[in-house]
Amino acid sequence: MDRALTLNGVEVRFDVEPRTLLVDLIREEFGRTGTKVGCETGECGACTVLLGGKAVKSCMVLAAQADGASVTTIEGLGEPGELTAVQDAFWEEHAVQDGFTTPGLVMSVTDLLSRNPDPTEAEIRSWLDGNLERVTGYHNVVAAVESAARKLKQGDSWKIEPEVVAGDMVGASVRPREAPEMLRGETDYIADVTLPGMVHAAILRSPHGHATINGIDTSAAAAMPGVIGVFTAADLGFVMPLPVIWVPTDVESHWPPHPSGMVPGGQSLLATDRVRFVGDQVAVVVAETVQQANDALQAIRVDYEVLPAVVDAEEALKRSAPQLHETVPNNLCMSAPLGDKAAADAAIAAAEVVVEETIRNQRIMANTVEARGAIGSYDATTGDYTLWTNVQPVNPIRLLIALYVLGVPYNKLRVIAPAIGSSLGAKGYLFADGPLMLWLAKAVGRPVKWLDTRSSYPRSTPHGRDHVAHATLAGSRDGKISALSVRGFNNLGAYPVINAPGSPRTLIGQSVTGAYDIANPYYEANLVFTNTSPTGPVRGSGRAEAIYLIERMIDRYAGEIGMDPAEVRRINMVKPDQFPYDNHLGWMYDSGDYPGALDKALEMVGYDDLDARRADSRARGKRLGVGIGSYVAAAGVGPSAIMGSKGLVSGTWGSAYIGIEPSGEVSVTTGAQPHGQSQVTTFSQIVAQELGVPLEAITIKHSDTNGALYYSQASYGSRSLSVEGVAVYNACQLIKEKARQHAAHLFHCPVDAVEYGPAKVFARFAPDQAVMTLQQIAFTLWLGWDLAEGMTPGLEAKGFFDPPEFNYPYGTHVAIVEVDEQTGHVELVRYVAVNDFGTVVNPKVVDAQSHGNIALGVGQALYEAVRYDETGALLTDSYSTYPIVRASELPSFELLRTVTPTPNNPLGAKGAGDVSNPPVAPAVVNAVCDALSDLGITSLDMPLQPHTIWRAMSSASAGGAAGSGGSASAGSGGSASAGSGGSASAGSGGSTSAGSGGSASAGAAAAAEPAGAAS
Amino acid sequence: MKEFGYERPAHPTDALAMIAGVAGARFLGGGTNLVDLMKLGVETPAVLIDVTALPYDFVTDDADGGLRVGSGTRNSDLAAHLAVRRRYPALAQAVLAGASGQLRNMATVGGNLLQRTRCPYFQDVTKPCNKRVPDSGCPARDGEHHNLAILGGSDLCIATNPSDMAVALAAFDAVVFVEEPAGPRAVPIADFYRLPADEPQRETTLEPGALITAVALPALPWAANSRYRKARERASYSFAIGSVAVALDVADGMVRDVRIALGAVAPIPWRAYRAEQSLRGQPATEVAFREAADAELEWAQPLRDNRYKVPLVRNLMVRTLIELVQAS
Ligand SMILES: Cc1cc2nc3c(=O)[nH]c(=O)nc-3n(C[C@H](O)[C@H](O)[C@H](O)COP(=O)(O)OP(=O)(O)OC[C@H]3O[C@@H](n4cnc5c(N)ncnc54)[C@H](O)[C@@H]3O)c2cc1C
Ligand code: SF4
Repeated sequence: MDRALTLNGVEVRFDVEPRTLLVDLIREEFGRTGTKVGCETGECGACTVLLGGKAVKSCMVLAAQADGASVTTIEGLGEPGELTAVQDAFWEEHAVQDGFTTPGLVMSVTDLLSRNPDPTEAEIRSWLDGNLERVTGYHNVVAAVESAARKLKQGDSWKIEPEVVAGDMVGASVRPREAPEMLRGETDYIADVTLPGMVHAAILRSPHGHATINGIDTSAAAAMPGVIGVFTAADLGFVMPLPVIWVPTDVESHWPPHPSGMVPGGQSLLATDRVRFVGDQVAVVVAETVQQANDALQAIRVDYEVLPAVVDAEEALKRSAPQLHETVPNNLCMSAPLGDKAAADAAIAAAEVVVEETIRNQRIMANTVEARGAIGSYDATTGDYTLWTNVQPVNPIRLLIALYVLGVPYNKLRVIAPAIGSSLGAKGYLFADGPLMLWLAKAVGRPVKWLDTRSSYPRSTPHGRDHVAHATLAGSRDGKISALSVRGFNNLGAYPVINAPGSPRTLIGQSVTGAYDIANPYYEANLVFTNTSPTGPVRGSGRAEAIYLIERMIDRYAGEIGMDPAEVRRINMVKPDQFPYDNHLGWMYDSGDYPGALDKALEMVGYDDLDARRADSRARGKRLGVGIGSYVAAAGVGPSAIMGSKGLVSGTWGSAYIGIEPSGEVSVTTGAQPHGQSQVTTFSQIVAQELGVPLEAITIKHSDTNGALYYSQASYGSRSLSVEGVAVYNACQLIKEKARQHAAHLFHCPVDAVEYGPAKVFARFAPDQAVMTLQQIAFTLWLGWDLAEGMTPGLEAKGFFDPPEFNYPYGTHVAIVEVDEQTGHVELVRYVAVNDFGTVVNPKVVDAQSHGNIALGVGQALYEAVRYDETGALLTDSYSTYPIVRASELPSFELLRTVTPTPNNPLGAKGAGDVSNPPVAPAVVNAVCDALSDLGITSLDMPLQPHTIWRAMSSASAGGAAGSGGSASAGSGGSASAGSGGSASAGSGGSTSAGSGGSASAGAAAAAEPAGAAS
Repeated sequence: MKEFGYERPAHPTDALAMIAGVAGARFLGGGTNLVDLMKLGVETPAVLIDVTALPYDFVTDDADGGLRVGSGTRNSDLAAHLAVRRRYPALAQAVLAGASGQLRNMATVGGNLLQRTRCPYFQDVTKPCNKRVPDSGCPARDGEHHNLAILGGSDLCIATNPSDMAVALAAFDAVVFVEEPAGPRAVPIADFYRLPADEPQRETTLEPGALITAVALPALPWAANSRYRKARERASYSFAIGSVAVALDVADGMVRDVRIALGAVAPIPWRAYRAEQSLRGQPATEVAFREAADAELEWAQPLRDNRYKVPLVRNLMVRTLIELVQAS
């Protein structure tokens, strides 16, 4: 039926099936792809548009419902090429990182401010709850809304000329260069990429945690409308499973095989005779439309024989456990020791105090609002394959697919990453779907696209963490730690993911001493296969597990010896005069003032002065708790030789190409792969600083293997600026050097007499006469009419940087929480973070990274957990079952940065991308434990959902009630203030009976009211 | 989603004719619940009759001093309406406590009243469920029921009604106006929803094809002293695990009159008549409030994993009553 609506002011007609959603009409029929899809269940708000001027989620609205209405999408805001006040405020406040959720946020905020021009922070946050965000921590978004409200009141006067940076470019918070196009919805993500003749794939995944496949009948599916082909493992021929490329070589390890014989094997593109987790790929349909492919998927009949499953790492090691791989006895991939066990054991045996604890870092997932996707294409005439996919490392993936999966020449495969809607680590792998699309493209002779959905995401994309550690910490009564011994268990899931198996010993093991000088550390990494999704890095990876462990143990130890946890930290921290400091496990800490950062953070929260706050909370029926998370996190991966010695089959150096165009502009190709870290901005700043050219003259290219760099690494492990950025810096030096040499030739003077100034070269003896602009130098070099002997034409350079050592950002975070005595609900009331990332190129960019790290850590501490039942069924596959933190659940963050340059690179910059995540979860958990300490509660497992806390309070108070003899009935009548009397003296003994009469009754009252936030 | 037809009549008579004329036809409000369930395959209507073009988008004063709300009024407009905020604050608060801004902009009063349960089995077509497929069984009783009913359930179904708005409407004795094949009818909210008993698939007393046209809020001057409180598993929006709408008329320390309705505890918005009864004429004290709450919750029949709701709701009731005493 013919219908019409007004789209961005223009009347458009449409004739679609009634089941077409408004978002699909906008994106597919009208090609306005600025409106994004993140969840399809009305939770994420990425699809927000204005319908009749009001914000609605266009994935919840039928196209037909908009008949006759006016619809405004991000493309319809403001004048063409300009930004509205809201968009400008987002830009100014650095509220944009990867940009995927930005259009939805902008639309939503536009509606908010049109009906409430003066919202309070609470109103802003509550409104923003309709938009999920995974990377900004909402901090700058809230600031942007406040700023936009001010701008809107100023009429047009906010439209000022673009800012001009006076003085140094490095160190200036210039606005992110990548943001304006994101704010206008012009940035293309994988969902927005369409190729001529493209068809669509849908992947059938195992619904069982563990089963054998007795047969697959695809005939009915193949006969369905629009279906081009249905494929199973039997069709794939010589295609190999995914390889594993980080394998410690000094310990025994067991793996699924890989036909190359060169590396261990991972997941197969399509399962052959057995599926090992819910999500294992079983078959694939290619059809003309997504809908047809999905419909046909339902018609594939798989004859499964369900097998017993095991989902827990320690359970999987038991003799009776189901076995996953023939080549891996007892499901144990490896057991890798690190450090001197005998020394640690001896120190523990000799210690005055020994604290033992099992520390669980639950399974989480990145669950980025942008899911994943891949498009394969194949040119039959040339034999060239091209893969478009939103992964972080295009070059490494090209190498792995060419060499180990498809077995095609490296130069026959090109990999391109469109804009990436954040990764949080989980878009950093080689996935089975990418090469599968390449194979399919060749098989069906057309480009093939696969796009993931929210509910399939946890089945298609590796999870993270899932680390259990049995830790023993030993020390003296006066607070000096002498040993830390840990048995760690990493749940690898069903298959090893390319780089994940190397991480537990290196990134967790080496990091377990945290910021402390511990004489006798020992770590044992046990890597175990189970019937769960494969696991790998999630933002903060490895170091997050380690810091969580040590920071929880420090608090446990402090509780045990009755010392202030801050004091225990101060006593044991590595001191400023100890650098370079060898942590006895492989790291060589570079520089810093760890106790200084701790003291600054404590000062910011008024640590010594919290009694009044505690009493005030208590009067309101809340318990206040303060928690500290101090950290050192290795960053800047990495020195290639060191990484090689740890078994990583990949160079980890940085690289950059710089070409000065004959017309004077600067083209840079970086080995980094921005996906929210604003490297286009920060790398431009480095170039602008070094070469003295304006930002607008600089173009940064990346994320395409057909670029100026033949091979490169990518962005991960907080390496971009301190490794790839240094390569850019180094390339600038080569450019300057060549410019000077050429100028010296033209000026007929020695090179020493020529200096490089801002975008020019000049002879020191005649700076105004013997001077050429950078453009003139480049032009004459490209012409090559008059070159010195041996001088090559052109002005271009490749810079490399292989760091001599890692760098080590550090800091201390402090969380203040209030736990509701009646509901068990935790509210984060303040969050203070002191970080040191060395020299900082763009402070606002760096702070924005910290905001994201904090939000993720708070989410892990309070909400997030991937859950399986004992059969291996996945229980968390939506944003309602896997909640991520929303705006109203966070306070504004209070950040302070100190600057201690690293000696390990010429910029002095340390990593900043994920390093400030590790202290967050422990700070929050320590705070909650502090709040409940007088009930005798010393440990709680994340996520700290109300019912977890309620159960803890309830069993603690049950113990307390029993201990205090017959006060159990006090619970029902107990009022909120009942606990205050007994709480002061309680807790010191740390046992369950510590609760005196007063706290027992408070506990019982609290126990009577579990689960929830009341509004 | 399965294919279906779509109509958007401008006149109620057309809407009623259409729904009577096509088997499997369903009314569509904002679609925020129905379209969601269609994506899941739980609902498979043959035709959707969009009722948002009908003349039901209004909030007007009734002659008797009450307020009348058209069924097509969007939830955000209802919550923002000055008369609602002043005279029936618990209703505005209840609506604002549900979903997110973008969804409230779309959702209608009629659709909100008829939104379906969030029982996980009801929403999962691969699982049995008596409400979705009569006589298929109820896996919730022994399975995942931590947010299901402690009051009013039956052996066949223990699902809860998820609406926040309906809880406030129950407290205010709202009247729902409907057009049924037999003609118009005014249904007091107390008679609007029905307990599952042996027919969990029937959630209201409406005849098939009934069209909700408006909701009347009777005059109740002391409703200005009312409040909605909602407990949920997190600080930002999500469905209630327990909620309460309370209006309190208190003078000289005595409860003159009181209205209490509970949410997320029963298959219907649960009017706490017993608690109200025990409070009228009593001193407005915490002790009396606790006793009143106990009088209601004494009848609760919690299951293994939803016992927590009893103390949770008890405390919500007591806390809210105390706040209303302080506010008046
Ligand atoms: C992510 C999310 C979170 C949510 N959170 C909450 C929450 O916390 N609290 C809460 O209360 N709700 C919540 N909701 C539910 C939301 O309030 C409902 O979806 C909404 O109120 C339904 O209104 P609608 O107009 O969109 O109904 P529709 O989806 O259009 O219809 C719902 C039902 O009503 C029928 N119907 C609609 N109008 C009429 C009429 N005039 N006459 C007869 N029948 C009619 C339809 O046939 C259908 O059966 C949430 C929803 C989502 C998606
Ligand atoms: S409680 Fe009701 S809705 Fe839930 S499974 Fe049982 S019958 Fe179905």
